[in-house]
Amino acid sequence: MNDSTQVKTVRFRVTDALLLALTLLPVVFMITLNVLFTPESNGIEIEGALIYFTIPMPLQDLIISESQIHSWCVMVSLLFFSLYLTHGIAEKPCTRRQYLAEWMVEQTDKLVKGNMGPFFKGFSPFVGAILGLSAFSSLLALFGLYAPTSDINIVGGWALLVFILITYYKFKCGPVHYIAGFFDPPLLAPLNVISEFATPVSMAFRHYGNVLSGSVISVLLAVALQGLSDILLGWLPGVLSGFPLFRIGIPAVLSIYFDVFSGCLQAFIFAMLTMLYVSGGFSYDEYMRRKAKRAAKKREKTA
Amino acid sequence: MQSLGVISLNIWQIIISLANLVILYLILRKFLYAPVRKVLAARAAAVDRQYADADKAKEEAQADRAAWESKLAGARDEADALLAEAGVQAERRGEQVIADAREKAEGIVRTAKSEAEAERRRAEAEMHGQIADISALLAEKLIEREINEADHKQLIDSFLAGIGESGDTDR
Repeated sequence: MNDSTQVKTVRFRVTDALLLALTLLPVVFMITLNVLFTPESNGIEIEGALIYFTIPMPLQDLIISESQIHSWCVMVSLLFFSLYLTHGIAEKPCTRRQYLAEWMVEQTDKLVKGNMGPFFKGFSPFVGAILGLSAFSSLLALFGLYAPTSDINIVGGWALLVFILITYYKFKCGPVHYIAGFFDPPLLAPLNVISEFATPVSMAFRHYGNVLSGSVISVLLAVALQGLSDILLGWLPGVLSGFPLFRIGIPAVLSIYFDVFSGCLQAFIFAMLTMLYVSGGFSYDEYMRRKAKRAAKKREKTA
Repeated sequence: MQSLGVISLNIWQIIISLANLVILYLILRKFLYAPVRKVLAARAAAVDRQYADADKAKEEAQADRAAWESKLAGARDEADALLAEAGVQAERRGEQVIADAREKAEGIVRTAKSEAEAERRRAEAEMHGQIADISALLAEKLIEREINEADHKQLIDSFLAGIGESGDTDR
């Protein structure tokens, strides 16, 4: 690390600081918005995302809510964080963050290769995007912010994209193969069709439900602990009667499970299911056979 | 401000979210995966290159060694051949020297012999003369009469020649 200090110029450091600041700025922005616009509540209300404004659109009004704003903020953060990680990247590592960047890339590569096979090598940025977006969206709850993953529309959009990918890769093996897939045991064709469409729905609801239930339980626990404190300290005069004794510390411990662990786990589960479903519906042998057949036909035509 | 219900489906929100994921995928691919992959590939290439260089250097070293060894063996052979040739030459020269020396010695001996012979002959001739003179003197004294010295000398010479020839045959 000695020679690296010589390499780092003032300009390099300034760019570093700027990138880090831009990574954290969206978080600050979200907290500011939250402080400015979130109405005070007594805690027991369980509601969805706050609506900032509505744009009239055909079919349905386009609602810009906390979920959208927070998703974009997470994306901007991730953009600048990846810029920060790859800033000053070199063949001979001179920054410690390069190891983190390489580790991330290698881990997702390994994950994708292990679960999907070498054909889907290009999927690792996509899996990385799912992991990053999902995990950091859920982790926003740590700042007391609304987690976009507890909005069915957000997770539903991802699940829809995964469904499109599944269907796309199934069709790559030919429409005949796609249709035949539903008649695998011929009698169960209706069930197969239902399960095909149930896949994205179940994925969306699993993720959304887990994160939402975590925040619901957090709210309920907060209220319950407040009630417990009231029972214990209610006889005290003045401000002391409302002192939230049990809300000190205990919700933080629960938040480790419901926000950190559950959020990361759900991100991982969503990514795993994406990989398994996309590669599961795709038959590499069938794809290669079809490709060879098409190439042969083309050769025949030209000859 | 209003809030959404806990479950409220909105098609535009779903589409925005879908687009968000696609955009984040593109962002990560462009700004995280591409640079890191490039660096990893460059590093792998550098490692390969170094391995290739090392292999090449090793091969070269081995070739050099083989060349040196063959050269060394050649030099040893050459030295052996040179030594052998030198030995042969030296032997030949020695023989020649010996032959020359022998020849020279023989020549010396021969000349010495011939000189000795000539000396002997001269001494013989001298002795003949002296003996003839002495015998003539002796005969003159013995007989005490004056005789023709020349006739006597001739007589004694012929006599002595007879002796010398018989002496030659004796030796």
